[in-house]
Amino acid sequence: MDNGDSFQEDHVTDVIEIEELHKAYGSLPVLQALSLRVAAGEVYGLLGPNGAGKTTLIHLMMGFLRPNQGRLRLLGSANLERVRPRIGYIPERQRYHTRYTAREYLRFLGQFSGLTGGVLRERVERELATVGLLAAADRSLGTYSKGMLQRLGVAQALLSDPDLLLIDEPTSGLDLAGQREVIELLANVRDRGHTIFLCTHYLQEVELLCDRVGVLAGGRIAAEARMRDLRDVANSVRIRVGALDTGLRAQLESLGGNVHCDAQGVRLSPNTPELQATVLRMLLDAEVAIIALEPLESPLERLYLWALHSVPPTSAEARGVFLPSWDLDTIAAPPAAPPSTDERPAESDTLLSELLGRSETDGEADRRR
Amino acid sequence: MRLLRFTGFTLLEYLRSGRVAIEIVATLAMYFVFLRRPMDAQYFFSALGIFTPVLALYTTAIIIGLGDRPQSYVPLAHGIGRGTYLLGLFLSACAIVIGAYGLLSLGAALLNPPVDLSLGDWLLGGLPLFLNIGLLAALMLLLSPLVLSTGWRLLVLGLIALAFSSNFIGGVLLEALPEAGRALLRAVQALVGSPLVPAFYGFQLAVTRDYSTPTAFANLLAQALLLASLLGLSIYALSRRDVMFSSQ
Repeated sequence: MDNGDSFQEDHVTDVIEIEELHKAYGSLPVLQALSLRVAAGEVYGLLGPNGAGKTTLIHLMMGFLRPNQGRLRLLGSANLERVRPRIGYIPERQRYHTRYTAREYLRFLGQFSGLTGGVLRERVERELATVGLLAAADRSLGTYSKGMLQRLGVAQALLSDPDLLLIDEPTSGLDLAGQREVIELLANVRDRGHTIFLCTHYLQEVELLCDRVGVLAGGRIAAEARMRDLRDVANSVRIRVGALDTGLRAQLESLGGNVHCDAQGVRLSPNTPELQATVLRMLLDAEVAIIALEPLESPLERLYLWALHSVPPTSAEARGVFLPSWDLDTIAAPPAAPPSTDERPAESDTLLSELLGRSETDGEADRRR
Repeated sequence: MRLLRFTGFTLLEYLRSGRVAIEIVATLAMYFVFLRRPMDAQYFFSALGIFTPVLALYTTAIIIGLGDRPQSYVPLAHGIGRGTYLLGLFLSACAIVIGAYGLLSLGAALLNPPVDLSLGDWLLGGLPLFLNIGLLAALMLLLSPLVLSTGWRLLVLGLIALAFSSNFIGGVLLEALPEAGRALLRAVQALVGSPLVPAFYGFQLAVTRDYSTPTAFANLLAQALLLASLLGLSIYALSRRDVMFSSQ
């Protein structure tokens, strides 16, 4: 795995530097030669199924656990006790000392972090306001809902204005509304410029919050990608339209078995650049209002499954259709042997570039005609 | 300062949780059953010299349970070091037991004062008693799953059992052993039992309050050193192992 060097070139200041980290519980290995770098200001999402070792990794970073082998530096220091005041930690379970009110609890934690006097008071009130708990600040934590406790978790992590935030499964156990609330809160926190390391098994959190994603499988980072690269690619798509008459539907479906129409749209599954361009052209020629073009399968999901199960490319993908661009800029650490050169798509194999390319080509052809 | 704040934090949670009711009931029971009769200082310290160590065992076990929960990751994440964490739990347990001792003393002083107990005597008798409370709390801390793994705990418990074994391995049983075996057993019992001497003598010192010989001061020093050793051992053991709080 050579992502270390390549990321070091990209990021002058790495806040998290992990090299060849090993951790086992007795004879059970959890992390095996895990290497990872996260740059200052970056929001890194670590995806992995339950039991993959995400919490173990965060606990190693917090210094709760000792590695069996390997190097771990945070904020430029291997002395984790020393840098701990500069790290905010949001634990997975919303387990807090419920005999206190939120204000009391944050004051105690602030004191533990070395805050005193006016600064402590100001920080406590500021973070209570940040997470929207000011009105409930004098209520016992025992009366808080899970969502409120998770917001309290965010507040306590921000108390010391940390340089690095380690977040473990922030929406675990929350209902949909609670999940949305916490994600919105974390999106606001991200805008403060903290470096954030987020462990989760929810792809949506990574899609909404992160700059870069890694997949933890087999005790190491099995795949890694920049979110902007993943957002550039898509596989099966749905073209949502205003209305589709039966005649046009029949014409479209005659293009092949991978075109599926209904009154409000066209689904291309599996998709090909050529097919997509043809369908779009037909829709435009028929003056059908195109409302949206949506990926049906998230590229992140593809990456996750690929890293986890080494899911082979489908036959459509093998024909050179829409794979995420499997180059090292996007996927730093494939789980097994990387796809062969034949399977790698051309640089133009992204939804956007394909559309633009087709439009330009068609435009050029029209002009010539 | 962090140590005192964390101790206060733990104590306040203990009080608010209502767990302290057990200590309050035990203290009241102790007073009404044992301390209402006419008594002298020797009786007073004999009674408290047994009550407070027993209470220390109970309270420390409960406080350790309070500290061995997933909630505890949060204070640790806020810069409470492992050593400070253990000492905070230890001080909290000691504070509760010494508080009970204080309440009993106050009750006795106000309602049924021992006939020959002055304030000076009360302090002299209390000092070895406090050290014994600390010794038991520190031993409980060392034997907690938070500090030692199961194997090490069994080893320490085995050594303690061996130290006390002279009380139940003797007479005919001991005669059955070959001479070399008897000598070895006595040597081992003496060796592992030696840390118990300051605790037992401390109890005796609390009862007699006889500080006329250097042995009394040497014993106080031995108690203090033993206490420091037990705490140091706990802190060292925790610093060497993974912090994995119980998931309950």
